[in-house]
Amino acid sequence: MASFKKTQIRSLPKIGQKVTADTLYWRKLNFPVTVKEFGPIDYIDVMPIEPYFIAVSSAAKVQIYNPITHQVHRHFTRFKEAAYGASIRSDGKLVIAGCDEGHVKLFDIGSKSLLRIFKGHKGPVHRCKFTTDNVHVVSFSDDKSVALWDLPSETEIIKFSEHSDYVRAGCVSSISSDLFLSGSFDHTVKLYDARSPTGSTISVDHGSPVESVLMYPSNSIFVSVGGTELRVWDMLAGGRLLARVSQHHKTITCLHLASDGKRLVTGGLDRHAKIYDVQSYQVVHTLDFPSPVLSLGITPDDFTVVAGMANGLISMQHRQTQAEARALNPKQSLKVQKKSQTAYRFRLNADFRSVNRTFNPATDVEVATKTDTNFVSRYDMFLRKFQYSKALDTVLTPYIRKKKPAITVGVMHELIRRNGLKSALAGRDDSSLSSILTFLARNINDPSHANIIIQVANTLLEIYESSSLTPQSEKLFLQLQEHVNREVEYVKHLMEIEGMLHILLASTTTQARRSSTYAVQGSPVKPMLPSAAAAANATMIFNVG
Amino acid sequence: MVKMANKKTRGPDKTQANTSDIVVKKLDDATDIVRQPPVFTNDSKYICIASGRQIGIYSVESAEKVHSLEEHTFDVIGLAIKDDNILLSCDASGETIEWNINNGTTLKKAPLVVAGIKEFHSFHYPGNGKVLVATPSTYTTNMSSLWIVDSHTRPRKLFADIKSTPHSIAFGCNQGNGSLVVVALQDHSVVVKDITNGVDKKHMTDQRKFTCVALHSEKLIMATGDISGRILIWHDFVHKSRPVKTVYHWHTLPVNSVCFSSEGEYLYSGGSEKVMVKWRLGMSRKQFLPRMGSSIKYIVNAPDNICVATSHSDNAIRFIDSTNKINRAIIGLVKHDPIRGFADTEPIKESVMPTGLVFDPRSHGIFFNAQAGFLQLFDPQKNSLIFNMDVANRNVLTDERNLVIGNAEVLRVAVSPTGEWLATLEVWSNMSAGYHDMNLKFWRYDAVQANYELNTDVTMPHQDRVTALCFQPGLLGTEMPCLVSIGRDLKFKIWRLVDDTDIYRQKESWSCDVAGDFRKLTPSALSFSEDGSLMAIAFQDTVTLWDPTSINLNTTLSHTLVQEPIELMEFGRDNCFRYLVCASKSALYAWDVISQGLVWKVGQLHSSVRCLVPDPKSCYMAAVLQNSEVFVFSPSSSKPVHSVPKMNSSEPIAALFVPRPNPLASGPEWLINSRLLIVDDQQEFLCVDDVSSAGFNQKLTTPISHMDSLPWTPFSAMKAEKQISAAKQLVPVVHQTSGIQGYKSVQSLLETSASALPPMSRICSLFMSDLMIKHGPKAVTAKVNSVDRTSTDLPLSNGHIDSKTQDFSEETTLQKLLTLDCQWLVETVK
Repeated sequence: MASFKKTQIRSLPKIGQKVTADTLYWRKLNFPVTVKEFGPIDYIDVMPIEPYFIAVSSAAKVQIYNPITHQVHRHFTRFKEAAYGASIRSDGKLVIAGCDEGHVKLFDIGSKSLLRIFKGHKGPVHRCKFTTDNVHVVSFSDDKSVALWDLPSETEIIKFSEHSDYVRAGCVSSISSDLFLSGSFDHTVKLYDARSPTGSTISVDHGSPVESVLMYPSNSIFVSVGGTELRVWDMLAGGRLLARVSQHHKTITCLHLASDGKRLVTGGLDRHAKIYDVQSYQVVHTLDFPSPVLSLGITPDDFTVVAGMANGLISMQHRQTQAEARALNPKQSLKVQKKSQTAYRFRLNADFRSVNRTFNPATDVEVATKTDTNFVSRYDMFLRKFQYSKALDTVLTPYIRKKKPAITVGVMHELIRRNGLKSALAGRDDSSLSSILTFLARNINDPSHANIIIQVANTLLEIYESSSLTPQSEKLFLQLQEHVNREVEYVKHLMEIEGMLHILLASTTTQARRSSTYAVQGSPVKPMLPSAAAAANATMIFNVG
Repeated sequence: MVKMANKKTRGPDKTQANTSDIVVKKLDDATDIVRQPPVFTNDSKYICIASGRQIGIYSVESAEKVHSLEEHTFDVIGLAIKDDNILLSCDASGETIEWNINNGTTLKKAPLVVAGIKEFHSFHYPGNGKVLVATPSTYTTNMSSLWIVDSHTRPRKLFADIKSTPHSIAFGCNQGNGSLVVVALQDHSVVVKDITNGVDKKHMTDQRKFTCVALHSEKLIMATGDISGRILIWHDFVHKSRPVKTVYHWHTLPVNSVCFSSEGEYLYSGGSEKVMVKWRLGMSRKQFLPRMGSSIKYIVNAPDNICVATSHSDNAIRFIDSTNKINRAIIGLVKHDPIRGFADTEPIKESVMPTGLVFDPRSHGIFFNAQAGFLQLFDPQKNSLIFNMDVANRNVLTDERNLVIGNAEVLRVAVSPTGEWLATLEVWSNMSAGYHDMNLKFWRYDAVQANYELNTDVTMPHQDRVTALCFQPGLLGTEMPCLVSIGRDLKFKIWRLVDDTDIYRQKESWSCDVAGDFRKLTPSALSFSEDGSLMAIAFQDTVTLWDPTSINLNTTLSHTLVQEPIELMEFGRDNCFRYLVCASKSALYAWDVISQGLVWKVGQLHSSVRCLVPDPKSCYMAAVLQNSEVFVFSPSSSKPVHSVPKMNSSEPIAALFVPRPNPLASGPEWLINSRLLIVDDQQEFLCVDDVSSAGFNQKLTTPISHMDSLPWTPFSAMKAEKQISAAKQLVPVVHQTSGIQGYKSVQSLLETSASALPPMSRICSLFMSDLMIKHGPKAVTAKVNSVDRTSTDLPLSNGHIDSKTQDFSEETTLQKLLTLDCQWLVETVK
């Protein structure tokens, strides 16, 4: 018949940050490995293919790090002054970097040799990028211009000088080799097409100096950051603003895609990196760093997160591998291991049975099978047998009492329903009584359980009021009383505060009303009445209706 | 203000009442199947079950009904198998009928003649043409006399003053000499008679009252159960005056039934613990079958010893196989046990079927209480149970010997207008401990799974008992549904569905939006206008009208003539949408919410109004009085269109207008689209219906609504995916309770300064079309018959148009006139 229904344990949702799939995912990053450089980290670029080398430009050098060993793989120091915006080609063989003297320098990663120098900019070049066809280079310079260079011939193809301030941000399209985007301190973001040399195709106003721009892999949307705002623009609709998100409280400096283009990461001077969902632009997680973040790099497999900071620190964080997780939490891993072992044993058994089964029942024979019984907890087992004292004892063990008070309260609730609380509480010795009393004292202030705890406390007092108690129990009863008194005191205070707030609110509303009446007196407006003709018209309609 | 005040009559006028073709009939199919113990046929293939005046023959294998035998005119009091395929039945008037079990035909009818007695209590058939019948005792009430009736001798009285329950009489055969032994129970003693040998014995024990008795089929062994839960096995009780007894004591509550297995090896016993105990005779071993759902009334063993049937108080018969498992059940409509354990101050309407009858627009069924913590859905068209749903999801607790342990009870149910949402309020209270629990649960209907899924569970929605729940009607599909609850903690609360969807999952839950109160008065009744634009809450004698979206108090209505607290309140439907009918202890009256005046009042009713139910398909309303009088009236006037006089002694509990699948061809207007269903305190269903359609067995012709959720079959592929119909669909009517047609355009015209207006010729046609009544396929329901003449003589300044009352053709012609009228205006302006 109807199986025994489990005791309902009422657990209320916890207030605070919700644990979502994203928080779990990003929380798995290990403790960072930090490397100290001499100047602020201007730019970090990640090689798009394995082994995902990381190019870091800071001060007068560009360093290529190995993301696994955190060692410097190569470093390029042939810069007179600061080097900026080193970026690796998609095949991982070449690296390009701008510098203070206005040159763009191309190096071979394998041989460390300087292959090309693109000269033509009059100001420092802060960002430079390879186009998708790998044979062109786009550079974004402080001389307010954006230039496209031919790689083999080392010549300038086009130069756009539309900006009115430093161009400090830029990116290229991942689909077309002709499209690239520039962001400037003059608040604008411009989209250029190399096939139309007359000027920019789209120009949008970001509202504050643009620090970084990014084009989605689909090439239909681009994102710009600058100031404390992130703006999302629709490229196909000619630069329509899709979203404005402001989650940082200081300037946002860098922008990166993560999780296969499903998440967007921004880092800012407020020392946070925020991770957004690219559909809703809701923040799903926040990473904290010790100093203002200037640049971010995330490997395509999300395994390494690199952040460059203003004080010259590079922080490299790895995703936890399973072996590491096991080493960190040996107890839990042991449990998992055990489980897998038992599972294996049962599997073995099952195999054994199926192999050795020679008896095949006839179709008209009903074979009795063992029914799967659901797991029944100990307290339910005792409740089922009407052993109320034992059921209460099982939920008063220190572990349940302290870690899962909802279970204890749930069983107490069930005992009240079954009218068995009195018999469960009566006739207890000193130690079990003290465990009940400490539980009550600890939880009587909890508003989610208070009504049941108070009921239990009343019953307990009723039972033990006339019996002689040991000094220890007496002390606990007094402690309980103290808790109750304190709670009463709190409630009194709260009600006083509430009363004060009521007075304040009432006075503000009357004031507001008074001011609004003044406003009405200031400009008298007479409500207009329908004219006789209009009224007649209305009546006519009524007759119809 | 008062238009027609103080019309004091003793009860509403009965001038118009024509009772000739309207009958009140009991729904037989809804009666219980566990009043009499069921009987197995000799081959154990069928089981015969008496339910009211009917007898059902069910297959044991499938628990399906095979035949329904309907010849008796009174309740059946006993069944017996005469031969291999002959069933003998007897009703309370003493008529016995022999039936052929195989084809369900009547073989023989014969009245029982016992010394001119017309009433019989129970009927037994020991065989050989002898019949045992119990008749009312001459001197003591609630006791019976037992007679033996034979075909060739005069009826003989065996015992006087025995208990009248069916299981207080047992008979058996003395194997030694083949004589018939009959035993019967008195309160504190067992009386034994050996018919053939004429031996009389009376055995007494201590002060415990006997409850049931059974005799072993082969040996001369008797088993008795008593109210302390003890079972006694008596050996050799015919001859010895102090027989040897064995005590089997496990039950703590009275034993309701004992039964020997047909081989005589085992003894089955059951009681209110909901546990069937299987004792092995002569040994201390026993087996239990716990949590059988509800208390056991009868246990019957099949002759082939494979199957045991138990009758339960939740109107179910369950079959237990030889492995001590329930494998089948015949489930009828569950009767709600009166709630115990609540305070005694609760009125009776709160203790029996507290939810009343709630119509479910999705399945066209009715929701009401089943056993404690359960809710059932009953199909009134087919008179069958659709499902029984566990709302509380708690173990059903049984009483202890001197202690009533209450269970969670469903007190209120509300169904959203689309039927998608179900709100239930369950209460568990223990007044002795001063503790109570209350849960408001919101269930959503899942069309794929075809069941209700719990969406939100609110603990303690109000601090004190919730008086009423009501969903807001008339909402569009895009609007979030809304529920209003009122409670004795002086508050009314508005619950809304909140969409909490984030990027990880879809989530919707209900939460309290607004909690309000009114002058610290207790809210007692709640009603929404048909279009959902107005919410009325009664606070004692005052009616408050609220705007449900902004929760602004529109008006309060009160009058010196009506100062009793309002108990029931309902808005009129259809063209009586403007009337709000209220019932207090002794008066029934109606407010007009538009003119805000008292329209009529009927004072000094014979007894208080128990139910006030509006008909969803017409403008009529029914008031069911406590003395079971029924008045059907239109809220616009105090004159009833029909009244039903006092029916019987039973007291009505709840009532509901049930829409018909097919409208009636002829009959009174209020019966064309629906019929009135009333439940009395015995939980019998009464139906007020036209005599022409009183045969309720008509089969359902409309398609069943849950067809959509059935799995795909080859035949369903043949059905058209989309059906196009020329018939216009009904769209919920929204009454215009405020504003004038085209008021906005008039307003804008007047407010714009004349210099800024565009040329009149350009805006004229636009302006005129704004003033016209728009009707696409939406607003028109081609319903000609219900043109209400009272609404035409309304003062025009009120400005109300009831588009539904309009005759379609009339409207179009008038509109044509109107457009013609405008034409001259346009021309003159030009």
